[in-house]
Amino acid sequence: MISFSGILLLTMRELWAKKVVIGLFAVSSLVLISVAFALNLDVVDGSLASVRLFGQSEEAQISLEQLVFAIESVVAGAAYWIGILLALFASAPLFTTLVDEGHIDLLLSKPMARWKLLGGHVAGVWGTMLGLVVYLLGGVWLLMSIKSGVWNPQFLLAIFLVVGLFAVMYGVVVLIGTWTESTALSLIVTYGLIFVSLVLAGVNQITPQLSTGSRAVFYGLYHTLPNFAEVTTIVSSLARGKAVADWYPLVSSLLFGGAAYGIGAWIFQRRDF
Amino acid sequence: MPDAPAVSVTNLTKTYRSGLVRRESVRALDGVTLSVPPGTIFGLLGPNGAGKSTMVKILLDVVHASSGEAALFGVPSTTPAARERLGYLPEDHEFPGFLTAEQVLHIYGRMAGVSSADRAERIPELLDRVGLAERSGSKVRGFSKGMAQRLGIAQALLNEPDLLFLDEPTDGVDPVGRRDIRDLLLWLRDRGTTVFLNSHLLSEVEKVCSRVAILQDGTVVRQGTTEKLTAVERVYDIVATPIPDETLHELDGRLRRADEPAAEEGLHRYHAQTEDRAGLNGILDRLRSAGVELESVQPLRQTLEDYFIDVVGTTEKPEAAGESEPASPNG
Repeated sequence: MISFSGILLLTMRELWAKKVVIGLFAVSSLVLISVAFALNLDVVDGSLASVRLFGQSEEAQISLEQLVFAIESVVAGAAYWIGILLALFASAPLFTTLVDEGHIDLLLSKPMARWKLLGGHVAGVWGTMLGLVVYLLGGVWLLMSIKSGVWNPQFLLAIFLVVGLFAVMYGVVVLIGTWTESTALSLIVTYGLIFVSLVLAGVNQITPQLSTGSRAVFYGLYHTLPNFAEVTTIVSSLARGKAVADWYPLVSSLLFGGAAYGIGAWIFQRRDF
Repeated sequence: MPDAPAVSVTNLTKTYRSGLVRRESVRALDGVTLSVPPGTIFGLLGPNGAGKSTMVKILLDVVHASSGEAALFGVPSTTPAARERLGYLPEDHEFPGFLTAEQVLHIYGRMAGVSSADRAERIPELLDRVGLAERSGSKVRGFSKGMAQRLGIAQALLNEPDLLFLDEPTDGVDPVGRRDIRDLLLWLRDRGTTVFLNSHLLSEVEKVCSRVAILQDGTVVRQGTTEKLTAVERVYDIVATPIPDETLHELDGRLRRADEPAAEEGLHRYHAQTEDRAGLNGILDRLRSAGVELESVQPLRQTLEDYFIDVVGTTEKPEAAGESEPASPNG
């Protein structure tokens, strides 16, 4: 266990030394400061009378609940898209560094199984991202709830969705990184899958236009590849306190992530470094 | 297993395969068998591409063997338990530059399974031993190659290993640092640690290694004690008072003046070549009868570098090299 904690700690230290991660933390802090000090809500008898942002007062056109949900939704959406893309950009080189000659052989010479080494690294990356997302989304939720009195515990589930989908996409980095040891290729494939998911999200609109064969291929991709873009809808529903209509995009994405980690770990276990 | 060799390798082979369409294979190790007794400093030598790094990587389970067996103190090298009492310094190691020397040792020590209390005790001692005590709080990115190398050695020693693998430990280290590392290795040997050294600096290897093996084209072509391997068969170095020319002539080429001078004034150095022990005694009897006074008689040695060049320059790849198989480079 002590060996596992060593690689976990090393990974976290390496991530926190990345400028992108420090930048994400700084931006998250700015958002929290803005919500805490720049956004003032005048609540009269449980209703929103006016909103003051950076001292500019506006008469409220929407309900207090709508405003809280809108702010939480924007922050969760930004954390999902911008946060995950930047977090992948920051963490992908770390995996290539892990399997670099001179580094991986030193790590493998320690008395721990390969799966533990890989597990410690992945846990370190997940842990750091969880910390950042809890800091941003948890902080925004707490501040908004205290300020408005509108408590939306469902929003907290968005934290796990953001971290979960980051973890799914990091699985691609692990798979491609173990196979090719190339940061560039890992990021190209990962971002490529995110781009493809934007197209796959239009499954209901696109498939009626396709021939039977093409439709089968499209459905095959839809059910196999991560539905990154569609999961945004779930995040948005949670942030708005609405019931989630369809959990399938999340489930299929998590299954894809599990498969990516499984194959990546299999290659990692078998290959020579 | 208390009596097991520190390193034992039996019929080890490794074939690297590459290419997706046109499969190419390279046989890096071809039936290597060798054994390193505990408490020795062992040198693995060989020209570039001989299979030295592959051999070390298989012992550390960084590379998987194609066939054969490898064990550390009797434990198969593929199990994590085999690496519990092991320290390793890779050739081109790179520690995260943002960490201080002390932080590096804490994190890598933790990965080696060293408890917090033991790390707190050993880290200052080790930093002092490798001459980095005053730089313990400095970030590694500012370290010279030699300093990084010394930090790497401290990292390898943190779990008080019984077996230490060092890959080019004196690479980039200045002469004073090299001597410090040499002294450290001898100190470790005296404490019972087995050191497995992979180095191109044959003069360094010769100074510290009691046993060596030479790999060529993936096969062990020679292995044995450094003393035996570097001894020139049946050639003796004799230091004596000047031998009259007629005596030299009488010995018919079995005794000749050496190129190197004797250390002491008034003495000369000669080399005697004989068929057997009786032949050597015959030469010595003849010298005594000629009134020559003998200062010393000892087997002639060549440097490990000369021996190595002779071996790798002339050796045909054998079917298999047996255990402790010194051979005369002249023979």
